[in-house]
Parts: sequence; structure tokens; C-alpha cells
Amino acid sequence: MKKFFATFLAVFMMMATSVNAETDASKAESFVKDVTAEGIKDIINANIPQKEKDERFADLFNRALDLDFIGQFVLGRYWRTATPAQRKEFISVYRQLNVSTWSKRFDEFKGKEFIFKGTTPSNSKGQVFVNTIVPMDEGEPAKVAWRVREKNGNYKVVDIVIENVSLAITARNEYSAFIKNNSGNVDALITNLKSKIQ
Amino acid sequence: MNMLKKIFAVASVLFVSACAFDGKIHRPEAEADPFESINRPIFKFNQQFDKYLLKPAAEGYRAITTPFIRERVNSTLATTVEPVSAVNNLLQGEPVDAAVNVARFAINATLGLAGMFDVAEGWGLEPRRATVNETLAKWCIVDGPYIVLPFFGPSTPRSAIALATGAVMDPVFWSIYEDANVRNKVGFSYAALIAIAARENAMELLDDLERNSVDLYAATRSAYLQNLSKLRCFNDKSADSDAYDFDFGIDVEDDEFEKAGY
Repeated sequence: MKKFFATFLAVFMMMATSVNAETDASKAESFVKDVTAEGIKDIINANIPQKEKDERFADLFNRALDLDFIGQFVLGRYWRTATPAQRKEFISVYRQLNVSTWSKRFDEFKGKEFIFKGTTPSNSKGQVFVNTIVPMDEGEPAKVAWRVREKNGNYKVVDIVIENVSLAITARNEYSAFIKNNSGNVDALITNLKSKIQ
Repeated sequence: MNMLKKIFAVASVLFVSACAFDGKIHRPEAEADPFESINRPIFKFNQQFDKYLLKPAAEGYRAITTPFIRERVNSTLATTVEPVSAVNNLLQGEPVDAAVNVARFAINATLGLAGMFDVAEGWGLEPRRATVNETLAKWCIVDGPYIVLPFFGPSTPRSAIALATGAVMDPVFWSIYEDANVRNKVGFSYAALIAIAARENAMELLDDLERNSVDLYAATRSAYLQNLSKLRCFNDKSADSDAYDFDFGIDVEDDEFEKAGY
């Protein structure tokens, strides 16, 4: 559990921009390497005020993750029935919630590192898993797989899988259960999520 | 003789189950929780238990200890289960790992001052944890449905059996087995310490989950079942990533989602 949680947050704070190229596992890997390196060097280890760290984190998060893509997946079947305004609002709230949650805690990753363990192909077109492990203070290292998607030569992270737990699937299952228990109302979810962003 | 018969019976069941399955021991998540209407109230009960007892205890523990002390406690708790790992590594056909467990136990229990310090790791003997649940999964025992146990939380029938088996395999259990009075006192204190230390470790994660979750039950279930899917049957030839390499093509995904019955 400790392992899971330390990596859970670790992972969210290390995102960056990427190079332009065709879909290529080694390029996806170097993209994730750049992202994590920037997160550690320019945010976690940087000697700057917390406010500036938060800003840098938000910037890195938005550059590295394809939140439009993830948000659509996370809403599951309700994406289809949602109005364009609801879709837009959901993505925006989902983005803010993630940024605020993780920027609060990224310092806990101090002193940790990602060790790259090659890549695994995905069944989805243009996607690949970049495998990493994070050594823990105690016990065996945690496994973190980064699902990277290439589009028009741009690489973005579309899922992070920690010890087999996909953040995208977990969020989708949770949100779907909530919407279902609220008579299929996407607005109920948006209102609830909004109340959590402070 | 009776004992032998029992062992034989268990072994045959295991053998038959191993042959009967193609390595698929997990249920698809959408079908994994037929008892949701019972599980949810138990989950709620556990949340109350956590709120009024376990979490305050973990906060108290954090308040009266330093990180250094907590690390020593965690390290000792990890050392006591090395023999359990050794047995499970053997049962999983990993004699080298089992030998590492035995060596780690011998070194850390003595030179590591009752396990407080991981001396063995410094000598290149890295942890090789192996659990009963891993062993049962490797022998192709199916998970069964998702259940929430009172006090213990998310589980499956196999995980629950593994939890109980692991507890009686613990050397602390054996060392106190003789005297019922000592057994109760030491046993409960040890169990409480494990629970409180684990809760303290997970403090920030659980706080965040609780704060950000719109349906904590659903989020917990999903994460638990996905994590469980890394335990695999020995003849499961699929890639590690198969468990989480879902189709991300949104339209196709929509259809599968419909079929899954959400």
C-alpha cells in the first residue's frame, strides 16, 4: 500500500514536452525520460517558492498528459450522451482536480528515481508502454508503466499504470458508478468534482 | 495417516484445478461484484471503524514516534514474515529466492537487531517477498467474487483464505502458540501493530482518495481488483501488460462498455 501510494503521486509530477517523430518505442521512452527528468530537476529539486513549483507542475502536467483524450475515456459511455458544454466542463474540472491534488504532494517523491526497463507494445494503434521501476525505502521496487500515445509526431502520456492499477480505468469505473447512481446525470458528477477543487 | 489423506485430498484438488484452467483466474471487473448490495454496507461499516478507531490510532502512533522509529518498526515487521516468504517461494518453485529469505531472516534477526535494520540488503540480499495469495494464484486457484470483509476490507474468497493461512504461518504465531494467555495478548498486540503501522503508511494516500473520490467504494474496488490481476497462474502465457492494455480507441471502448452492463 505504501509502495502504491508513493508512486501514485510520484508519477503525476513528472511530465514534459516531447520531440517530433513517427511512432517509435525508443522515442516514446526518451519522451518519458525527458518528462521525469524535468519533473525531478526543475520542480522537486528546484530551490524555488512553493507557488512557483505549483505553476511549473501545472505547466508540465498539461504538456505531458493528453487530458482531452483521457477525459473522454474516463467518462465512458456517458461521453456520448453528454452535451459539448458538459464535455468541455468535465475535462476542465478533471484537469484542475488532478493538478491540485498532485502538486500538493510531489515533494514526497524527493530522493526517488525512475529506472527505465524498456518498452512493451500495446494492442492500440500508435501506443506503447514505457516500463519503469521506482526503488522504495523498503521492500521491492514499485512497477510503473507509462502508456504513451503518438499523434502527428507528438507524444503524450494517456495512462499511468502503478502495480497493475491503471489510473484511467480506475477513474472511469468510479465515475461511471457515480453517474449511474445519479440517474445518468453528468452534471451531478461535474458539480461534485467542482466542490473538491479548492 | 489422517493428515496424509488430507494433504493428498488438497493436492488432488489443486492438481485438478491447475489442469482445468487455461490460466484465467480473474473475473472481468464488471462481473466481479455480484454481492455489491452486501459489500457496500460492510464497506461503510469499515469506514466508520477507520474514522473512529484505526485512523486515530495511526495518527497517535505518528504523533509519538519519529520517522526513524517507524522505519525500524516496519523493518522488524517485514523481517518476521521472511519465513512465510521462504515457504511460499519454495511452493512457487523458487528455491533460490527461498534461500535468500532464510538468509535475510537469519542476518537481520541477529545482526540487524531483531530486524530493525536491513543489514542483508547492504550485502546484496534484496527482499524477495512471496505471499500465500501469490502461491495460490500461481497454482491457478481462481479469485472468486469481490467481497468486503468486516475490518479487513477488500478481498476475494481466495485472498481471505490466503490472509488466514499467512497469519498462522507467521513465526510470531508459532512462538506464542503454547500458552493461551500469552497467545491472546501478544497475538492481538502484534495484529494491532501491523494494522496501525499499515494505516500510518497509507495516511496521505487514503486522505487524498477520500477527499477526491465521488464513489470511494467503486474506486477502491477497481484499484483492488486491478492490483490483484498481477497475480498469475503458472500456465498463463499472456503478457504482463495484457491486464491493463485495454482498447483506448474511444468508440470501440464505448461498445464494450455497454456490453459489460454498466
